[in-house]
Amino acid sequence: MWRIRIHGRGGQGIKTASQILGSAGFYSGFQAQDFPLYGAERRGAPVIAFTRISEDIILERGPISSPDIILIGDETLLNDPQSAPLCGAEPTTLIFVNSSHTPESLSQKFSLITANLNDLCLQHLNNRTVYSSALSAVGARLLGNIDLQDLLQAVEDELTPHGISSSALKGNLDLAREIFASLQPVDILRKEEKVLTAKSLVLPSQLPVVDGAPIILEPGNMALRKTGNWRVERPEIDYEKCNNCLICYARCPDGVIGIAPDGRPEIDYDHCKGCLICAQECPGHFIHTVREMGTFP
Amino acid sequence: MKVATGGHKKIKDLHPHEAIAPGTGLCAGCGGLEGLRLGLKELGDDFLICNAAGCFTLLSVYPFTPLKGSWLYTTMGGPVPAAQGVRDALDIRMRYRGLEEKENLQVIVVAGDGSSNDIGFGASSAAIHRGLDFIYFCYDNEAYGNTGFQLSAASPFGSATQTTPSTYVHEAGTEINKKDLFEIWKAQKPAYLATVSPREPIDLSNKFARARALKGPRMFICMSPCPTGWGFEPKEAQLIAKLAVDTGIFPVKEYFEGEVTHTVRPRKRLPVEKFLERQKRFQHLFEPHRQEDVIRQIQKRVDEYWRNYE
Repeated sequence: MWRIRIHGRGGQGIKTASQILGSAGFYSGFQAQDFPLYGAERRGAPVIAFTRISEDIILERGPISSPDIILIGDETLLNDPQSAPLCGAEPTTLIFVNSSHTPESLSQKFSLITANLNDLCLQHLNNRTVYSSALSAVGARLLGNIDLQDLLQAVEDELTPHGISSSALKGNLDLAREIFASLQPVDILRKEEKVLTAKSLVLPSQLPVVDGAPIILEPGNMALRKTGNWRVERPEIDYEKCNNCLICYARCPDGVIGIAPDGRPEIDYDHCKGCLICAQECPGHFIHTVREMGTFP
Repeated sequence: MKVATGGHKKIKDLHPHEAIAPGTGLCAGCGGLEGLRLGLKELGDDFLICNAAGCFTLLSVYPFTPLKGSWLYTTMGGPVPAAQGVRDALDIRMRYRGLEEKENLQVIVVAGDGSSNDIGFGASSAAIHRGLDFIYFCYDNEAYGNTGFQLSAASPFGSATQTTPSTYVHEAGTEINKKDLFEIWKAQKPAYLATVSPREPIDLSNKFARARALKGPRMFICMSPCPTGWGFEPKEAQLIAKLAVDTGIFPVKEYFEGEVTHTVRPRKRLPVEKFLERQKRFQHLFEPHRQEDVIRQIQKRVDEYWRNYE
C-alpha cells in the first residue's frame, strides 16, 4: 500500500487533489481511498487530505500518521506547529514541496523534491493558489504506477461536478499534463504492513460540570493565536503616499489595522490573514501586495 | 424623517475601541465579522453575547476568546432563550441581590441567517412579543455557511447552494424566494429594527449608537458577503457588499416608531447582474448559457420593492 498525505490551506483545492489522486489510482487498477481532515476553520486555515492506494483491499482507516509521500502545497506550512506537515516522516518518506527553493536549502534530512507550482498554476488557471490538479499530478507522477490518461480522466471527473467551465477544465488538464511530463517517478521503499489489532475498551469517567465545562477567564486572549501565516500575499502600506484616510482601518474585518499615535494606519502582520480588502479598498491604491515567501525568506 | 444618528459623519468618527481581538478562526474577508466588529465598537465591553451555533462558533475556540466581554455558546435554536435567562438573572440580582447598576450587561444575541430564519425563528418572535430587552445581531450570509453552504430560508432565488445546485431539472438552483425577515420582525413592532451593511460603517455605527440608548428588542440584520460560500476572492468582500446596496438587492434601512427609513439610498440603481456576475453561486445564470428569465425575475423583484420607495 502507498500512503499519501497532502497539506495545504483551505481554498487551495487540497481535498480535491486527494480525490483526483484516489480516482486516478482506481482507474489505474488499484484500490483507493481518499478523505480530508479539517476543523471548522476553512479558507486560509491548514487542511490535510489523505489518499491510500493499494493492490489489495484496504482495511486501514483513519488519518495517515506515517506516510510514504507527503505533498506540501503551501511552503508556509513547513514550520506551522498546528499543521506539522513533516510529522511522521521517516528517512524513506518522500516529501514534495511547492516552492521556488531547492531541496538542499530546505533540508538535508528528508528525500525532498520541490517544484514551483504557483507559476504553472498562474499560467494555466490564471490563479496561483489553486493546487488541486497540480498536486494530484505530482502525486500520480511520483508514484509512477498511474497512467497519464487515467490522471486526466480523474481530473475531468472530479472537477466537472464543481461546475467549472470548459476553458478552465482545459487549463487544468494542460497543467496536469505539463507537470506529469516534467517530473520523474521515484522508487519508493515500501514499509511493512502493520498488524492491526484493536485496543481494549476504555470506559470514560465522568467529571463534575465545573471541572468539565470549558470556561475561559482571560478576555481577548485569542490574540495569542497568530493567524499571520494564513497569508499568501502581504499588504504593504506606502507611507510616502498614504494620506491617513483610515478607510483600510474601517474595512479590515479582523481589526488588525490599528492607528499609530501619529494617526497613520498600521498593519499587525502577526494576525493579518491576507484577505487584501485593504489593498482593494484603498482609494488611492497606496497599499500594494507582496507575495509571502513563507518561512524561508 | 427619523434618521438614526450617533453623530458619526466620517470614518475618523468611528469609535477607536476594538471589542474583538484578532486571531479568530473565521475566514479571511468575512463580511459578518466586519459587521460585528463595527457594531461592538459602539457597544463597549459590558456585554454578554449569546452566540448561536453557526459560523461565529469560531469566534471563541477553547481555550481562547477574542472578546473583552462575555460569551455564552448555545445551540442553533437556543440563543434567544439563553438571552432571556441571562437578562432575567441580571434583573433579579440587581433588584434583590444588590448587584450594582454598573455591573449590568447589554445582552446581545449573535446568530446566523439559519438560526434567525429557520431554527431559532420562533424564539426570536416570542422574545419580541414579550418585549425582551436585548440586541439581536443576525449575520446573513444567505445559507448554512459553517457546514458547507446548504440552503437556508435566507438563500436568494437563483443562487446555488450545496443542497440546491443548478441541475438539469432545477436549472435556477434555489427556486424559492428569500424570507423577508425585516418585514416579519417589523410586523411585531420591535423597539428598533435595522439592516446594516459592513460597507457602510458610518451608517452602521450610527444605528448601533442609537440602539444602545434604547430599551426593548433591537434587531439587526447584517448583510454578510461570504467569500467561501458565495465564491469570490476575499478582497472583493466589500465590493460585493457595495454592489448589493448599489443594485438595490440589499436595502439599507431602519424601522423606528412605526416608520421605515432608507438610510443609504443607491443614487442610480445598477442592474442586478453587476452583483450576480461576480459570484460563483450565480455563475450558472451566465454559463454555459444565459438564464435570461431568472435574471429578469430577480431584477423584477428588486424593481417592485423600490417602486414603493422611489
